[in-house]
Amino acid sequence: MFDIQTNELGQVAVSGRLDAAQAERAQQFLDKVTGECVIDMNSLEYVSSAGLGVLLKTHKRLMTGGKGIRLINVRPHINDIFRYSGFDRLFSIELSSG
Amino acid sequence: MTTTYPRNLAALEEIVADTARQFAAFGIDDSLRDTVDLAIEELFVNMVKYNRGAAHDIALDIHPIDNGVEVSLTDFDVDRFDPSQPVTVDIDAPLAEREPRGLGLYLIHKMVDSIQYEYRNRQSRITITKRVEHADV
Repeated sequence: MFDIQTNELGQVAVSGRLDAAQAERAQQFLDKVTGECVIDMNSLEYVSSAGLGVLLKTHKRLMTGGKGIRLINVRPHINDIFRYSGFDRLFSIELSSG
Repeated sequence: MTTTYPRNLAALEEIVADTARQFAAFGIDDSLRDTVDLAIEELFVNMVKYNRGAAHDIALDIHPIDNGVEVSLTDFDVDRFDPSQPVTVDIDAPLAEREPRGLGLYLIHKMVDSIQYEYRNRQSRITITKRVEHADV
């Protein structure tokens, strides 16, 4: 089960599994975001290359305006995927404290 | 155990649920789930995307091995494409030059212990293994 919404802090909150079946839905949501985008990944359980593609495309678009995506509350196993992919060189990433 | 799935992305939810059930039934270490789920998804999605004309469902086999798991995906009536060959992705490239293409196979090679490819009679069978990593004492 995947969900994406704006939380009470104005951040994008994602939860569940961001896989190839959910990537289009995530992309449609993020295509509407302007300015700096903070994505709270505290409840994100899984991400595949399809999800990485969504983040990359959105980050590129927002960076043209000098902003971009900041990823917060990233779980260690999700961060492993980011490191393997080199995304830790492209994104601001804050690990979850839990 | 062999299970088959229709070649559409909506099948991923069922695949994940079935994989969890088989891990539990075989007593496979659950710490391997994330890697196995990712490998299965990336391979399955490639089969769906690049072999759209095939009518046959895609077959998935999951077997326990010593300290780990062996997973095979079989596709039918398909052209040869060997995903066991090394994949190059420049993860140091600047943002403007980064593309998601190839990232799925790249991640598989980074995360699994082995990947093998067999092709005969227009059937491809891709087998990956993953074992629990033990810290050196």
